[in-house]
Amino acid sequence: RALAAGPEMHFGFQTVTEAERREKIYQVFESVAKKYDVMNDSMTLGIHRVWKDILMHKMNPSPGTLLLDVAGGTGDIAFRFINYVRSVREHQLQRKLKHHQNLSWQEIFESYQKDKSNSLGDSQVVVCDINREMLKVGKQKAQHLGYSEGLSWVLGNAEELPFDDDKFDVYTIAFGIRNVTRIDLALQEAYRVLKPGGRFLCLEFSHVSNPLLSRLYDLYSFQVIPVLGEVIAGDWKSYQYLVESIRRFPPQEELKAMIEDAGFFKVDYENLNFGIVAIHSGFKL
Amino acid sequence: AHRRHRHREREQEQEQGREQGSGSARPQPPEPSLLRFLVCPLSKRPLRYEEATHELINEELGIAYPIIDGIPNMVPEAARMTRKKPPAEGSEQP
Repeated sequence: RALAAGPEMHFGFQTVTEAERREKIYQVFESVAKKYDVMNDSMTLGIHRVWKDILMHKMNPSPGTLLLDVAGGTGDIAFRFINYVRSVREHQLQRKLKHHQNLSWQEIFESYQKDKSNSLGDSQVVVCDINREMLKVGKQKAQHLGYSEGLSWVLGNAEELPFDDDKFDVYTIAFGIRNVTRIDLALQEAYRVLKPGGRFLCLEFSHVSNPLLSRLYDLYSFQVIPVLGEVIAGDWKSYQYLVESIRRFPPQEELKAMIEDAGFFKVDYENLNFGIVAIHSGFKL
Repeated sequence: AHRRHRHREREQEQEQGREQGSGSARPQPPEPSLLRFLVCPLSKRPLRYEEATHELINEELGIAYPIIDGIPNMVPEAARMTRKKPPAEGSEQP
């Protein structure tokens, strides 16, 4: 033990030191960043989009919400958040206008102009990721898709967040917590930066308990996904890691306990697609 | 379904995007809204934006975090020590 560089951990099915694990995971995402979105669509047959939509509907953010999206890399959650609050805001404005029956056209026009410049209703999302390449891809996507207002990008570590205490209304981590080396620290940090009353939401691959489905899922994961990785991204190993890391990740109840250990209350989870994916939720009181 | 009424806004944002896209050509300061939340990841204490070097400085610990391509690099590995620099530069910050 005296000669080891640190405690032994898993990288997929390999045993490595903590430092090695961080380095290897960084390299995986550096390698896949440019093909990340394409691979997500191929591997999940586009279903990951539905999972993320469900997460957003569960969050149901109102305009004015401050969201911290950790491991948010290429921006999928952030963009959905912006679309959602924008849409809610538009409905709010329409309802407001309907009540302005007795105002002159000039007054209505001015009121509309004022609200139009605040189309997000002061909502904000900060995307935090540890990987520069993933953030770069995210930022470029934002520019192409026309997202700029209410959106910021920060390179940071989920285990040691560069944000002040009690700041955010919602904290999300979608398909990211599996890659964190010290999940307990990340959960503690999540708790710290949330406001009292704030919500923690985690979308992550989980465990399928149904034996038949589990076998089919294993077959698909180990036979198809790395091949897709090689064909589409020229990178078998990274997708091998992905599949293995899913198997190594704690199942639903265990993750729930870890979230409770960090201080969250009313922790529960919702299985999607029989547990292939689960959304865990908790509140800071 | 998400509705998109971004036609007018899109042009403005694409122009901004083109400016920012050139990376180090003309560094943009971080948004004030972001500075409100950002602290040093080690000490969790506030930071000061130094325009001259395009960094976020933690005066107490004497470290500076770089802003690269408009993205603050808030990890200790990326920070540098500021102790050897003359203190005079700090005084003109808003």
